[in-house]
Amino acid sequence: MSLTTMNRYQFTSVCWLSSLMLVAPVVFGQGAQHKGQIQVSWQSASEYASWYERGASVNRFGKGDERLNLSRAVLESRFDVSSSWSAHSVTQYVPDPDNKVGFTELYAQYKPVTNGAYQPQVRVGGFYPKMSLENPDIGWSSPYNYNFSALNTWLAEELRIFGVEASLKRSGKRLAKPSEHNWQWFAGIYKGNDPTGAVLSWRGFSSHDRQSVFNESLNLRPTAGFMSPQLQGQAWQIEPFTEIDGRFGYYVGAHWSYQNRHSLRAYWYDNNGDPAIVNYDTGQYAWDTKFWSLAYKFKITRQTHVIAQAMSGNTAMGRARGVDNDFDSQFVLLTHRWKQFRLSGRIEQFKVKDLDHWTFDPNESDGGAITATLKWRITDNWRLGAEFQYLETKVANRADDNLPIRQIEQLWRFNGEYRF
Amino acid sequence: MQRQEQVKKPIKQNKTRRAWSATALISVLTTLTMASLAAQAVTVNVTDERGEPVNGAVVWFEGAHLLKDTQTIQNDYKMGQRDRAFTPHILVVPKGAQVSFPNYDSILHHVYSFSAAQPFEFKLYRDKPQALKFANTGVVELGCNIHDWMLGYILVVDSTHFAITDKNGVAALDLEQSRVLGTTIHVWHEGFANLDQPESMKVTQLDEKATLTYQLNQSLFKTKEDFSDEFDDYE
Repeated sequence: MSLTTMNRYQFTSVCWLSSLMLVAPVVFGQGAQHKGQIQVSWQSASEYASWYERGASVNRFGKGDERLNLSRAVLESRFDVSSSWSAHSVTQYVPDPDNKVGFTELYAQYKPVTNGAYQPQVRVGGFYPKMSLENPDIGWSSPYNYNFSALNTWLAEELRIFGVEASLKRSGKRLAKPSEHNWQWFAGIYKGNDPTGAVLSWRGFSSHDRQSVFNESLNLRPTAGFMSPQLQGQAWQIEPFTEIDGRFGYYVGAHWSYQNRHSLRAYWYDNNGDPAIVNYDTGQYAWDTKFWSLAYKFKITRQTHVIAQAMSGNTAMGRARGVDNDFDSQFVLLTHRWKQFRLSGRIEQFKVKDLDHWTFDPNESDGGAITATLKWRITDNWRLGAEFQYLETKVANRADDNLPIRQIEQLWRFNGEYRF
Repeated sequence: MQRQEQVKKPIKQNKTRRAWSATALISVLTTLTMASLAAQAVTVNVTDERGEPVNGAVVWFEGAHLLKDTQTIQNDYKMGQRDRAFTPHILVVPKGAQVSFPNYDSILHHVYSFSAAQPFEFKLYRDKPQALKFANTGVVELGCNIHDWMLGYILVVDSTHFAITDKNGVAALDLEQSRVLGTTIHVWHEGFANLDQPESMKVTQLDEKATLTYQLNQSLFKTKEDFSDEFDDYE
């Protein structure tokens, strides 16, 4: 969307968000807190149309999108129902591809004040598991780079928990014999999230900051594989958060921190999908997707931090696992804050390895990126920034459209935002 | 006109009174200055076991003849939150004082205490400060249920004569030395092994500069460098 052409979708979105803010304090007792972000950006566009416009580019802004965009609007709200219970919502607007507005998170949280070292916590609803250390800013955004790492871009696209998460936190300083080690253990069960892995298999990893909203349907470039009889039940779009097989998925995780200086997060995720099940009405398969993720953050000094994350897993669909892929991704991010400025650099690689024998549907892809970002916090409300990204991707199925398999892109992004 | 005359008369009388008052005031001030030379305000030096100055030690005096200052109890005490930290880190208040909790951050804090002296909890939205009366003496350790690393103390003392040492280990009290003799000095520091047990000593004498040096009887736990930042609440 161009800034000058606010259409009826955007107008409706603004009205909807405003009314939510007005109604909330009446519905909920204790009080409410609203934080928001409106982001405008210009990004040099790729040579090809964007993937969700059925193009061959993995970028958010593809051919023809090289203009000033209202790239994101977020409203993050918290409603306190009682001392221990609060309701949280994150509503996001993105212009691409068709002015989407919806929830990226919506959940109730139980977090009681406890007099002791152990604190139980519960989240119920739709939310991100907290396995990443790159996205702690408003609406699960990154305070470091504008375009997320490929690993977290994938989580933003295809992963959300619709269920219950229980955790137990052990605060070292409150132990009878105080310790500087803090722990938190997590377990979650959920429905939905069955087609997760599909975008990764057919498009490969990507790097952007567009998060799928609830009920999102992501378009894909129709590759030759989609025309095959074996994949005739598969639609040309992916609904990553839907339930297909009726089975529960689960994840377990552990957070460890030491002196508030070292943080480590380890997770095992398994959507427990039955790859034989397909919903012919929506054209969505249940994918059997499982992976582990390890995230680490070290505060070298108060101003300079390093963050790293690695992920490795497998995803498969079809009765005989006709599409069967291993995937992995890693990144290291170094960030330095100086006065009102933050400079962040990230280097990463990613890979999808095709294990199956369906040669008509190649899923092989790999690549890497180097991203450098400078952000300037002019005031608490106004921020500016610029980013350069060198991105190389190799996707085997680009050959279906006689496109070069390998794409090298050098992308600039300039960003201005208002926060409240 | 009548009204103006009525007003003028007292003014003439006031001029005479003012002259007398000025003379009286000068006499009083002279007396006070002489008295204060004899009885200087008390200074306390707190040192650790090795004789090094101790920063952030709370000192207060208690004694049967040491009258409490009502104004000190009625003062406006504030325990704010700024940049996800309690400010001040340590607040000393006399028993019965009211403390307000202004939130200077743009985000919610959920402040609580389980300390026996004053257990409480409340959510603090920006521009909606809460206040609480602290009627019992003791240490009130403050935490935040949203920002786990936040730590602050309100020390409620049975005295209106208290101060906190600066980085040179010096605490200056607005109290003449004659009133201090025979009282008990109490000293507290957040590095004590048992926060509910301040150290105490009977004050029998001060040096010629009205300075009392107090050496701690225990070693202090060192407070760690604070590495917290605004993204640590993503847990």
